[in-house]
Amino acid sequence: MQAGTLSTFLKRGAIWGFILFELIFFSVAGAFLSLSDKAFMDLDNMLRLFKQSAPIGIIAMGMTIIMINGNIDLSVGATFALCAIVLLDSLTWPIFAGLGDWVIPVSWALALLTGVLLGAINGLIVWKTGVDAFIVTLGSMLGYRGLVFMYNGEQPTSHLNWTLVDFAETQFLGLHTATWFLLAVTLVIWFLMTRTIHGRNAYAIGDNREAAVNAGIRVGPHMMINFMIIGFLAALSAVVFYSESGSVNPNDGELYELWIITAVVLGGTKLTGGAGSVISTFGGVLAIQLLRKGLGHIGADTSTVNLVIGLILIAVLYLDRQLNRKGAEELKI
Amino acid sequence: MNIRTTLAATSALAMTAVGGSVAAETMTIGITQNNVGVDSYQTTYEKAFIAAAEANSKVDVVVLDAGGDVARQIAQMEDLIQQEVDAIIIWPTNGEAVIPAVRKASKANIPVVVTNSNIAEAGFPFVASFSGPDNITQGSRSAEIMCDKFKEMGIENEARVVQISGQPGYTTAIERQKGFDDRLPEVCPNVTLVETQPGDWNREKSQKVMEAFLVKYDDIDGVYSGDDNMGVGALNAAKAAGRDGIIFVGATNFAVGYEAMERGEYWGSIYQSPVDDAKAALKTAIETLEGKELPFLNYFDTPKITQDNMGDFTKPVF
Repeated sequence: MQAGTLSTFLKRGAIWGFILFELIFFSVAGAFLSLSDKAFMDLDNMLRLFKQSAPIGIIAMGMTIIMINGNIDLSVGATFALCAIVLLDSLTWPIFAGLGDWVIPVSWALALLTGVLLGAINGLIVWKTGVDAFIVTLGSMLGYRGLVFMYNGEQPTSHLNWTLVDFAETQFLGLHTATWFLLAVTLVIWFLMTRTIHGRNAYAIGDNREAAVNAGIRVGPHMMINFMIIGFLAALSAVVFYSESGSVNPNDGELYELWIITAVVLGGTKLTGGAGSVISTFGGVLAIQLLRKGLGHIGADTSTVNLVIGLILIAVLYLDRQLNRKGAEELKI
Repeated sequence: MNIRTTLAATSALAMTAVGGSVAAETMTIGITQNNVGVDSYQTTYEKAFIAAAEANSKVDVVVLDAGGDVARQIAQMEDLIQQEVDAIIIWPTNGEAVIPAVRKASKANIPVVVTNSNIAEAGFPFVASFSGPDNITQGSRSAEIMCDKFKEMGIENEARVVQISGQPGYTTAIERQKGFDDRLPEVCPNVTLVETQPGDWNREKSQKVMEAFLVKYDDIDGVYSGDDNMGVGALNAAKAAGRDGIIFVGATNFAVGYEAMERGEYWGSIYQSPVDDAKAALKTAIETLEGKELPFLNYFDTPKITQDNMGDFTKPVF
C-alpha cells in the first residue's frame, strides 16, 4: 500500500461514512423516538431525499467548480430568486399570451438566460478588474437582491400553473422530476471536471494560478465560463423548484449560498482551491438534507440542525487538516 | 356477493373501526411553522402550541419550523405526509407556493388546517379549515373603539379621522381596512374619514405618512392604524409636531402600544394573543379529526383593549 493511500481513502470516504452513520442513527433512534410507524429508510422517503436535495444540490455542483478554481460565489441565492421571478412573471407577459402552455419553455429559457447573464456579469468583473471573487460576488449578492425587491416590493411574485406543477410532480421510473435534474447535472459536471481539458484547467488554476498562467491557460475567460455555469445552474435550480411551487417570496434563496458552501466543504473541496470532487459534493448535499429530515423524523427541534451541521463542519475541516498535513500548522501559542 | 368478499368487507370494516378507535385514543398532528425565531409572536405561539399538546393526552405532535424557507416548508409537508400523521397544521411561509404541497396532503387524505394567515383562494379546495384571527372584525372593532371615545368626548358629529393601513396586497391589511371603513359610518355616521395611506407595517414609514397628514390637515381628531407598530410611529410624529388630543387606535396590540397606553398617549387597540392563536389551531385540528362539522373559517376571539380595561390583559411579549 502506497503511503497516503489510506488518508486519501479516508478523505474520500469520510462523507459517505457520515451518511451511513446518519442512516443507521436515524433508523435506530427513529424506532424509539418517532411518532410514525414508518421506518426512516422507507423507499419513498429515500427517493424524496434526492428530490428535496435538488434546489441546493444543483447549485452546489456549480459551486464545486468555482471553489476548485479558488473562487467563491456568494450571489447564487439572489440569482436563484431573480431567475424565479423572471420565470413566474414571464408566464403572464402579454406578448406570450398567444402561446398557451407553450409559454412554459419560453419562460424557462428566459429564466436560464437571466442566470447565465448574471453569472457572466460576476465573471467579467472578476476577470477584468482582478478583484477577489469574494468581494465581487458579495457586492452582486446585495445588488441582485436589491433588484429582486425592486421588482415587486416586499410582495411575493406568483403564478400558479397546474400544467407546470403536474410536470414537476411527475415521477419517471420512480424518481421525481427534480431528482432527474439533480442527477443529470451531477453527471454532466462530473464529466466536465474529470474528462475534459476545461476540468483539468480548473484544478490547475486553483492549485497555482501563476503556474497556470505560465502554462498558457487563459485564466480570465476560464473563470468567466465557470461563473456562467454556476449562474445557469442557479437558474436551473430555480426553474425546477418554482415550477412546482409557483410563488416566490423576495427573500427566497437567502442563506442558500452558505448552505451550498457548507455542502461543498463537507464534501472535501478546499476553500483555497485546487482540490475537490463533484461526487463528494453530492454526498455533502445529501448529508445536510438527511440531517434535516432525520432530526424532524425523531422529533428533535429543527433549530438543532444548524448546531449539528456547524459542529460537523468544524470536525470535517479539522480531520482534513490532520490527514493532510498531520497538524503541521497547529497554532503554537 | 359471495362469502369471501363479504368476509373481506366485514373484516375491512372491523379494521377501520379499530383504526378509528385507535385514532380517537391518540392522534398524531404535525405542524410546520413559518419562522419561529423571527419574532416573539411566533416564539410564544410555538411554546403555547407544545404546552397545549402536552396537556392533551390524546394528542402527539410533530413540531417543525420552516425557518422562513419555502423549500424547507414543502419538504416538511412531504415528510409529514410520509410519516402518515393524522392531520397537518401549516403556517404558510408563502400563501401560494405551498398550495401544491397542500394538494399532496389532501390527495393522501390527510386534513390540512391553515393557521394564522390563510393561503390563497386557489388552495381552498385542499384545506379542511382555517384557524386564525378575523381581521374584518378587528377592523370594525377598532372603528367602534374610536367612535365610543368620540361620543365620550362629545365630538362624534364633527370628528375627522385619518387611517394608516398595512402593506398593500396583504390580506390582513385589506381586511382590516375594509372592516374599519364599513363599520365607522354605521356607528358614527357624522365622523369623516379624510384620507387613508399605507404605512407598510413599518414604524418609520408610518411616521412619515403621519407627518404629511399633520401638514395637510389642521384638524385631526383620530388616527386608525392597521397595527400598533405603525400606530406608535404616527404617535411619535404627532408628539414631535406638538399636536395633542388626537385619539390613536390600532390593532394587534404590541408591547410598544401597550406601554404608550400606560402613559396615556394611545387610546386603544385589538388584543391578539399568540397563545389563543396556537390553542385555536390545535383545537381546530382535533375537532376536524373527531369528525365535527366546522365552518371553513374558524376565528379565535380578539377582544378590544383600551386604557379603561387594559388591566385585564397582560402586556404583550412582542
